[in-house]
Amino acid sequence: MIELRDVTKIYNRSRANEFVALRNVSFGVPERAVTVLKGPSGSGKTTLLTLMGAMARPTSGRVLLSGREITSLPERFLAGIRRSTFGFVFQQLNLIRGLSALENVLIPAYPTDASYASIRGRGRELLARMNVSHREHERVERLSGGEAQRVAIARALINDPQAVIADEPTAHLDTKLSREFMEIVAAMKQDGRTLIIASHDPIVYESPVVDAVLPLRDGMIAEEHR
Amino acid sequence: MALLERQRRLLDFTLSSLLRRKGKNGALVAVYALTIFLLASVLFFGESLRREASIILADAPSLVVQRMMAGRHELIPDSYADQVRSIRGVRSVKPRLWGYYYDPLSGANYTIVTSEERKNGTIAIGSGVASTRKLAVDDVLPLRASKGDTMLFTVAEVLSEESALASADLMIVTPADFREFFAMPAGFATDLIVDSGNPRECSTIAEKIAIRLPDTRPIVREEILRTYDAIFGLRSGMVLAVLACAVIAFLIFAWDKATGLSAEERAEIGILKAVGWDTSDVLLMKFWEGTVISVTAFLAGTALAYAHVFLAGASLFEPALKGWSVIYPAFRPTPVFDPAQIVTIFFLTVVPYIAVTVVPVWRAATIDPDAVMRT
Amino acid sequence: MILHPGMLALLAASLIIAAMALGGAGLGYQILRRWDPTSGSELQLILERRTTLVSTLLAWAFGLEFLSLFLFAGVADSLHSQFVGAMCAAGVLNASATGYPLLILKMANVLLAGSWLIVNHADTRATDYPLIRAKYVTLLVAAPLLIAEAVLLVLFAGALKPHVITSCCGSLFSSQTETMVGEMAPFPFRPMAIVFLVSLGAVLAAGWHTWKTAKGGILLALLSFAAFIVVLASILSWVGPYVYELPTHHCPFCLLQREYHFIGYPLYGLLFAATVSGMGAGILVPAKRKPSLKMIVPGLQRSCAAASVVLYGLLFLLIAALVATSNLKLL
Repeated sequence: MIELRDVTKIYNRSRANEFVALRNVSFGVPERAVTVLKGPSGSGKTTLLTLMGAMARPTSGRVLLSGREITSLPERFLAGIRRSTFGFVFQQLNLIRGLSALENVLIPAYPTDASYASIRGRGRELLARMNVSHREHERVERLSGGEAQRVAIARALINDPQAVIADEPTAHLDTKLSREFMEIVAAMKQDGRTLIIASHDPIVYESPVVDAVLPLRDGMIAEEHR
Repeated sequence: MALLERQRRLLDFTLSSLLRRKGKNGALVAVYALTIFLLASVLFFGESLRREASIILADAPSLVVQRMMAGRHELIPDSYADQVRSIRGVRSVKPRLWGYYYDPLSGANYTIVTSEERKNGTIAIGSGVASTRKLAVDDVLPLRASKGDTMLFTVAEVLSEESALASADLMIVTPADFREFFAMPAGFATDLIVDSGNPRECSTIAEKIAIRLPDTRPIVREEILRTYDAIFGLRSGMVLAVLACAVIAFLIFAWDKATGLSAEERAEIGILKAVGWDTSDVLLMKFWEGTVISVTAFLAGTALAYAHVFLAGASLFEPALKGWSVIYPAFRPTPVFDPAQIVTIFFLTVVPYIAVTVVPVWRAATIDPDAVMRT
Repeated sequence: MILHPGMLALLAASLIIAAMALGGAGLGYQILRRWDPTSGSELQLILERRTTLVSTLLAWAFGLEFLSLFLFAGVADSLHSQFVGAMCAAGVLNASATGYPLLILKMANVLLAGSWLIVNHADTRATDYPLIRAKYVTLLVAAPLLIAEAVLLVLFAGALKPHVITSCCGSLFSSQTETMVGEMAPFPFRPMAIVFLVSLGAVLAAGWHTWKTAKGGILLALLSFAAFIVVLASILSWVGPYVYELPTHHCPFCLLQREYHFIGYPLYGLLFAATVSGMGAGILVPAKRKPSLKMIVPGLQRSCAAASVVLYGLLFLLIAALVATSNLKLL
């Protein structure tokens, strides 16, 4: 589904704090499968996610999404792609404080052309599926860690994306909740979605639902491959 | 329709995020509204003075001739009227009688004018006279005449209040009563009213009168109106120029608020960008934010200014803008509503507000979408 | 110098517009010099983001320009009481040599600004910034015009002296004077009305054609501009007299006054909006040659044409209503 060809990403180029995050990475993400990017922090996992999720452009190399080159698209088109193709679950969850669970879920759908009623209905449905219906009107800062993450997942699914991208999703969860998260991953895979997860948590990358693991080290793909 | 839905949702989101930051936005709206209030008060007040003056002058004759002696206004002999009548273009000339009467009881100066249509012994009075002397129709008003005797007048009418400034202190009697009251000699009048038929010829006729009767002073109504207009325009313009400082101070404040986004706000915009909002969506949200703030401040500011000027008598600006405030301490401006004023206020406040916030808003909206992931 | 509140508002708006246009043109120049769409560098990303800033600045500036044209007319009108002889904006504009040049420049700038926004919109629809050069080069031309407008306005405001005796619209727009507007006024009612009907008919037909087929954009643009002139001439020749119910009163400004229910504002507003929409359909024709816009431009042209048909239609209905409700019978 997503293909990276010889991608390099350099931050703060030609400045004192220049930093090479990715070096000549070529890689393909299979459709309707769970792919895990594994590696220690600073290995380039997050940068790779931002490139695959149409959040940033590579310094060189090309990114193809379903065969279409998106490398040098203007930002406004990248935003459209990001909105319609991807759902994001962030390490810090990044829910907006002060808003209710439902309002947070609806945020990615605001700039779309769908009607208010239909997105609200869909948001409710997703919260129900995530078993947090009863917390629908609760402000997000009053939710427990597990509930908050379910709300974040519901937000990722509001625009019915082809792919869900998760960055260290289990970093703040205990073992029980981490396993529950993997169950949700399995369900999303069942729905036909492509999942891309960056994690160095064995509960994630050793899970049976994972189809491919991409080990990263120092901005490059490490040798050991499954 | 889809487009409208989208705008409605963004507006909804904007409102809820504005309410989440009540303190900061409340302070902005308050300062904004205060600026608009000051500006709008000046404009409303200046305009109402202009209106007031033109109401007074609307009924004034287009050309008045006064006789001058030693630089002071003198009674004009009837023979002058015949001379003016002989000028080409003059349709009619009427001698006019009017004067002031100091009333020791109320301590006020009243204007007495004459009308042929009244009956001897009766008087019509303005609302101001009626209230200070507690008079109603058919009451008897005793006034002390020039020779020291008291004359009794029956109140025939209390004048309506279309323009309080114009008629509050007015008394209307017959010419005969007037001459008796002030002991004015026959064959003289206070001044002459000239009717030219064509108002555009007034200035030509005025010039001819000034040449033929060198001891007179012709006064053209248009000239007075223009002078008033220019003076009121200039005065409110000057006050506005002073208020420019207030506007600039407000703009610096607004710019500072727009530039100094809190870490929380930056993080929020970062989240929006990350989950698929485009720069233009954030700009649109900020546009709605600016609109909500501006509309609130605008409505509050102009409504307060309206109340200040027309209900509270513009107590803050009276001394600066009004020349005759000494004579008419209880002047209540007649409410006027002029769309041009609203547009002017809009251009002097909202437009500069937009201008100073464009760049900071754009900066906020172009936060990297991957910023939230890189922290 | 006249310190009239409306004049101050106008000066503020004009300076803001000039500053925004200058800023936009400056950014545009930088963008043009260092633009490299093939580069993945951070600089290119910054430049791309600046194009959003330029678009935003100019959308505001040009929107204000449109509003300030009407503010200008309104202020000029309200100043008339301060000039001997002036009975509406016509006399006030005549009170200084810069008055009419300023008005004409302002009208031209509004048309230019509207066209630029249409081109800008087309450019943002494609993925590769196909019109960026055309857009910013035009901006480098347009910015000086807007600055010239601000300078003229300052001169105009500075030169206005209330004691100047000026002519009123009656003498400006009558048959005796030899000014250009004076020449237009005596256009006999009947032929001018026929020209008006033919011109509006042609522009509506061309608009309809472009709306349905996305073809004939250039023709629509030319007819729109022609209709703009014809409608202005018609207002002088017979629309004004119908509104004033006086066959000798030809003034185009008195329409803005309260006595005539401010009818001039919707009338001129519709005229400018309709003309810009119609011209947009033609201005986009060269953009069709860009590969990335080939599929997009026809849709935009059709939207422009649809807007022009609706707006010219409304304009026609408005004028027809004015004629129908008038007590004057000229034709």
